[in-house]
Amino acid sequence: MVSMNAVLLISFLLWSVGVAGVLIRRNALVILMCVELMLNAANLNFIAFARQSGTVHGQAIALLVMGFAAAEVAVGLALVVALYRRKGNIQVDEINLLKG
Amino acid sequence: MSIEQAASHMIGATSAASTGSGILWLIPFLPFFGFLINGLTGRRLKNTKVVDAIALGSVGISFLLTVYFFFQLLALPENSRSIHQNLWTWFDLGGARVLGGLSTTTVQWAYKFDALSAAMAILVTGAGFLIHLFSTGYMAEERNDGRYYRFMAYMNLFVFSMLNLVLGANILMMFLGWEGVGLCSYLLIGFYFDRDYAAAAGKKAFVTNRVGDFGFMIGFFLLIMLFGNLDFDTMMGMVRGISGMPSITLFGHTAAPTFWFNLIGCCLFVGAIGKSAQIPLYVWLPDAMAGPTPVSALIHAATMVTSGLYMITRLNFIYVLAPGALSLVLFVGALTALFAATMGLAQYDIKKVLAYSTVSQLGFMFMGLGAGAFSAGMFHVFTHAAFKACLFLGSGSVIAACHHEQDMRNMGGLRKYMPWTFASMGLATLAIAGVPPFSGFFSKDEILWKVFEHGWNGQGWFYYLCWGLGMLAAFCTAFYMVRLMAMTFFGEFRGAGNDPFGLTVPSEAHHGGDDDAHGAHGHAAHGDALADAHTNPGLHVHAADDLTDHGHAGQAHGPSEVPWNMWVPVFIFAVLAVVLGFLNLPPSLKGSEHFSKWLEPLLYQAAAAHGGHHAAESIEYWLMGFAIVWALSAMGLAWWMYISDPSWSRAKAFVARFPQLFEWVNAKYYVDEFYDAMVINPIKQLSAQLWSLDNWVIDGMVNGAARFTVMLASASDWFDAKVVDGLVNAVAWGLQQGSMGFKALQSGRVQNYAFVMMLGFLAFAFWKFLA
Repeated sequence: MVSMNAVLLISFLLWSVGVAGVLIRRNALVILMCVELMLNAANLNFIAFARQSGTVHGQAIALLVMGFAAAEVAVGLALVVALYRRKGNIQVDEINLLKG
Repeated sequence: MSIEQAASHMIGATSAASTGSGILWLIPFLPFFGFLINGLTGRRLKNTKVVDAIALGSVGISFLLTVYFFFQLLALPENSRSIHQNLWTWFDLGGARVLGGLSTTTVQWAYKFDALSAAMAILVTGAGFLIHLFSTGYMAEERNDGRYYRFMAYMNLFVFSMLNLVLGANILMMFLGWEGVGLCSYLLIGFYFDRDYAAAAGKKAFVTNRVGDFGFMIGFFLLIMLFGNLDFDTMMGMVRGISGMPSITLFGHTAAPTFWFNLIGCCLFVGAIGKSAQIPLYVWLPDAMAGPTPVSALIHAATMVTSGLYMITRLNFIYVLAPGALSLVLFVGALTALFAATMGLAQYDIKKVLAYSTVSQLGFMFMGLGAGAFSAGMFHVFTHAAFKACLFLGSGSVIAACHHEQDMRNMGGLRKYMPWTFASMGLATLAIAGVPPFSGFFSKDEILWKVFEHGWNGQGWFYYLCWGLGMLAAFCTAFYMVRLMAMTFFGEFRGAGNDPFGLTVPSEAHHGGDDDAHGAHGHAAHGDALADAHTNPGLHVHAADDLTDHGHAGQAHGPSEVPWNMWVPVFIFAVLAVVLGFLNLPPSLKGSEHFSKWLEPLLYQAAAAHGGHHAAESIEYWLMGFAIVWALSAMGLAWWMYISDPSWSRAKAFVARFPQLFEWVNAKYYVDEFYDAMVINPIKQLSAQLWSLDNWVIDGMVNGAARFTVMLASASDWFDAKVVDGLVNAVAWGLQQGSMGFKALQSGRVQNYAFVMMLGFLAFAFWKFLA
């Protein structure tokens, strides 16, 4: 039986990798994947707490998050593809149209 | 009322019907066209004969037209002798509040040819034509230097103005001519405007006349207030109604009609004083001799100076009702007659003698008017016009013949050289001196008789006093005229170095061969010459010594008779001077007073006739006889002093006996100096003070206000630029600087935003869960 703390630590590391990836990487695809990492870290917590408490609520929310993540990726990839068609690359620091 | 008696033998006033005419306007306008043509094109005309033709032709035709209308007038019945022409409405006065009622009236540009204006128009055009003719000879030297056309144009303009004055149907038309002759006198007297003395004389005439015009204008403004009308005929028709009013209120002052008539009469007389050169405004007329001699004859003997008399006669209906004003006229006239006559006694300049004589004779005419004998005054205007024009033109001939010498001490003996001129001037002298049967005797005697008659009728010592002044003036007149004739025509010719008795004075009138200014020179510096004569009696410069190149080639050097176009006008005037008197022979001499009868319908009469109030005819005979003896003794005295004694030792002895007296009279009683000291200099000083007040105080205040405003404005500018703009700019600057920071924050990079968001999240988490 893996201890709760270990799961939480894994989840924390996973989420931190995700945050670092979102903040640092420039490739939009990689950023999307890092967002998936952060979502999965959250899911991992939900499942860990569900098993700890013996209820299914966490399991259910994890499933819901996966559904959301799938939808989000569908929309995100569409945006990335459209962006690529318009600008010719998907480096996020090149895309500063909202600059003041 | 004395005046009622004076007017007693006159037939009642008329407002008779007037006949219209379509060509009356040509009389004044022909000379005006002459003026326009000559004035505009004369400069380019090479042949001055054309100028002659236009100038003389316009006045000549005008004269013929006047004669034609005169005969038209003769054919009309006595009480409706009036021809008029309304040309256009000059302006509309609109509604004027007159005597409490509203009167609407227009001023017409209208001419009126009646007994009085007909007589004056004949005088103006006839004398004007002859004087124009004379000018063609006298101004010969100007023909070549391009000034001739200007002279002739001015003369024509003068005749136009004078005709406007005498033919105008209302007082405003008269005033137009009145100012016109004033302007022309300025132009003509100052004709040699490049000479200071001539320019000054023109200015003096103009300014002096303006003083009089001020009174004239007040007078006719009052007339408008009183009558609401300016038309002579209308006013004459209304005057009886107005004089019958119990009292009249003008400008808040209530007084009897006589008061207002007196006031108007005095104001208008001030105008007449200026124009007709009476005390105290006569000073311009002697100076006006600076103009060419024909100008003196035209303006100062025959026409312009008579305009004051014409005006008073024209407005006789006012004066008849204004006894105070008439007394003033009489007294000023008598005083002027004597005062000017005494000044004539001691002049050496031939034209100055005649100038003072004119002033004196005008005084006589005013005496006639002042005595209520308007026709007698006007009669003297006519006889005087003839003999004075003759004398002036004659003196012009003499001056021309003596090469622009004007000092009588340098003439003498001219009767041998210029017989026609001598004969003409001799006749005119007899006329002005009052020797029967020459014209001056009748006219002057009638005036003095009318004045005396008032006294005889018990109207007070005042009339005797004026009569006495007049008699003294008549004595002086006879004396100085014979003196003039003696100095000019008798004895030996004293020019050309011939001076047996040491009588000549150095003359500055001659510039030998310098040809720049013939005709223009010769009038200057006679005062200096006189002064020299007093200080250096032994100094003789022989006038004609340096005249070898004088433009009179082929003539002998002595004076010679002038050409026909000069002596013929003089002679015509002389003949007129002889015969004109018979126009108005009094009944006491079996005459029928044609002239008085002619004017009678125009003369207003205040009340019903008082027959039988005349003094007895025997008195008139006595007076006449006395006047004849009086004039002859004056002439005899002059003869004894100047002709029977060619060295003038008797005159010199008299002068030596009373040196101060002679000095005073010769210097014209220092009246000009008195005016300078009492009027002109105070005015100048006051002007200077006003100027400095203006310069320092008013300008100082204005400039100070300006400076203060400038200072205030620059302070305000500083405040605006530094404080107000500073605040505005500071706000803008702060916002700009602040926006720079926010701008940097808005990088457009999603990762930055996400980072900030995460920091926020962390901060929230720290605050919520950990703290």
